[in-house]
Amino acid sequence: MNEWMNTDREPDPLPSSLPGPTAPSLGEPQAEVEETLKRIQSHKGVIGTMVVNAEGIPIRTTLDNSTTVQYAGLLHHLTMKAKSTVRDIDPQNDLTFLRIRSKKHEIMVAPDKEYLLIVIQNPCE
Amino acid sequence: MKGGAAACSRPLPRGLCGLGVPAVCQELFKGWGLIRKEDRHLSLLELTWAVAGAVILTKSCQTASIATANASAQGRSHVDAQVQTEAPVPVSVQPLSRYDVPRLAAFLRRVEAMVIRELNKNWQSHAFDGFEVNWTEQQQMVSCLYTLGYPPAQAQGLHVTGISWNSTGSVVACAYGRLDHGDWSTLKSFVCAWNLDRRGLSPRQPSAVVEVPSAVLCLAFHPTQPSHVAGGLYSGEVLVWDLSRPEDPLLWRTGLTDDTHTDPVSQVVWLPEPGHSHRFQVLSVATDGKVLLWRGVGAGQLRLTEGFALVMQQLPRSTKLKKHSRGETEVGATAVAFSSFDPRLFILGTEGGFPLKCSLAAGEAALTRMPSSVPLRAPAQFTFSPHGGPVYSVSCSPFHRNLFLSAGTDGHVHLYSMLQAPPLTSLQLSLKYLFAVRWSPVRPLVFAAASGEGDVLLFDLQKSSQKPTVLIKQTQDESPVYCLEFNSQQTQLLAAGDAQGTVKVWQLSTEFVEQGPREAEDLDRLAAEVAT
Repeated sequence: MNEWMNTDREPDPLPSSLPGPTAPSLGEPQAEVEETLKRIQSHKGVIGTMVVNAEGIPIRTTLDNSTTVQYAGLLHHLTMKAKSTVRDIDPQNDLTFLRIRSKKHEIMVAPDKEYLLIVIQNPCE
Repeated sequence: MKGGAAACSRPLPRGLCGLGVPAVCQELFKGWGLIRKEDRHLSLLELTWAVAGAVILTKSCQTASIATANASAQGRSHVDAQVQTEAPVPVSVQPLSRYDVPRLAAFLRRVEAMVIRELNKNWQSHAFDGFEVNWTEQQQMVSCLYTLGYPPAQAQGLHVTGISWNSTGSVVACAYGRLDHGDWSTLKSFVCAWNLDRRGLSPRQPSAVVEVPSAVLCLAFHPTQPSHVAGGLYSGEVLVWDLSRPEDPLLWRTGLTDDTHTDPVSQVVWLPEPGHSHRFQVLSVATDGKVLLWRGVGAGQLRLTEGFALVMQQLPRSTKLKKHSRGETEVGATAVAFSSFDPRLFILGTEGGFPLKCSLAAGEAALTRMPSSVPLRAPAQFTFSPHGGPVYSVSCSPFHRNLFLSAGTDGHVHLYSMLQAPPLTSLQLSLKYLFAVRWSPVRPLVFAAASGEGDVLLFDLQKSSQKPTVLIKQTQDESPVYCLEFNSQQTQLLAAGDAQGTVKVWQLSTEFVEQGPREAEDLDRLAAEVAT
């Protein structure tokens, strides 16, 4: 029996701004994860992509181990600090996205309750 | 109120004038009832003071005594236990199966659109074009920080032939000798070191001086020991000194054996021993065509561990070279540079003007009759197109595995890629000889060259690929600059030694010290211009 088959669940509504050729195959979450990460990684200029969990431990990455661990630890701290900064200024507000621009490239962090998505891009200058 | 009456004869304290009148009046009326009838004739002010004075109370307190008792304890039995830490397991990426895949998928679904939008915006944005932040103080000009020299050596007319920074970047050492032909085999020469971080640095008085019986032609500090320095002599010997021992600095020497070079040593380099990354060996190259690897063994002796010999017949024919007469003709090696990416790969500069790509792992035996305790091997794997004269210096790029520079007596600097024989670019920097060329340790596109006209030329391939960005006149009388070295710890320093026996330490402007945003990519692009 195919364990990824999810026949007893209502399919999630697709966000209308999702680019890409077709809807992700709903019945196979692992393949969906792979496809999404591949789409992001193959975007113009992207050097590396990684997913970090709520404790700062990397789950998926396209970079080497030591670099990933370094990015994950440091950016996890920074994201928490940014989030608390936004909340302290206005408790009704919350952090939605974090971008760090450096001389060499741009680091983008999409935060969430359980995970962090980190993308490093070399922008066109 | 006896105390009050006595107190009233004293003058009013000053501070009382500041007391709030209403508060005082309140206290006054409170205290009025306390004052005996016979005292009530006292003036208001005096009574005020008396009342206010009565408010002050002295209190003391004391804690109850704490009971203490002595008790002792002693363990009777003990057990030996060993503790050993395990090597820390690097935090590795968790395999996906341990995590909730559907939740991860849901998260990615939530954020993907936003991330793609930001990536697109970023790719097209010109918001940061030309925007630069200055985090450090900007140094606009190149300036000479120190002019160092050793008068006894200068009096003998010795030149600075080799220069090296130590592993901490605070000590610069120079070797004295003569590079032009003359009777210099009997000249005593010196190795001098100055500690630039020491207060009270005297430019004419080095912190360490070693007298050497023969001219020293090249110098190299140990990569991790801040006081060990190796030098190659005119006699072909290689010596290692410890500059922290002024009374007996000589640590190791090769002596004059069958193994030693028969020609002056052109360059010495420290290499990590294979398998023991904290122990180092010395590699020496000389114009007799031998590349020798020495290790220090007990009693101060440098012993030969590996050796290579360059023979004309065994050079790979990747490019047309001048025909030589039959017979084993040695090819003199004048410079060596190791690749920062492959520790066994090195480039040799030769008297014939062609750089050679060589490997320590080469196995073929060399066709030479030179005596040696260790079998000599032929190291050359590839021959590059020649200069118009002998090559005096080579330098491998610390940022790109395939690029290296070579400079020679034709006044040209060639930028080679290891993938092809002809150079990528050839720049004429001097009408006389070029004695040294070095890549910058921080900026991928910058290198420095020392010319026979007494100039130190700084080249920034990003600014101009034709002419030098900065030209520093080191000597006033156009006597040549023989050697230069960047300081890899204090990256704004560049030391250069000239024929007048002076070492000048130059402080570079900030543009030579900070990497630009796309330099590494520009270097890759330059390297990729390999002719197909």
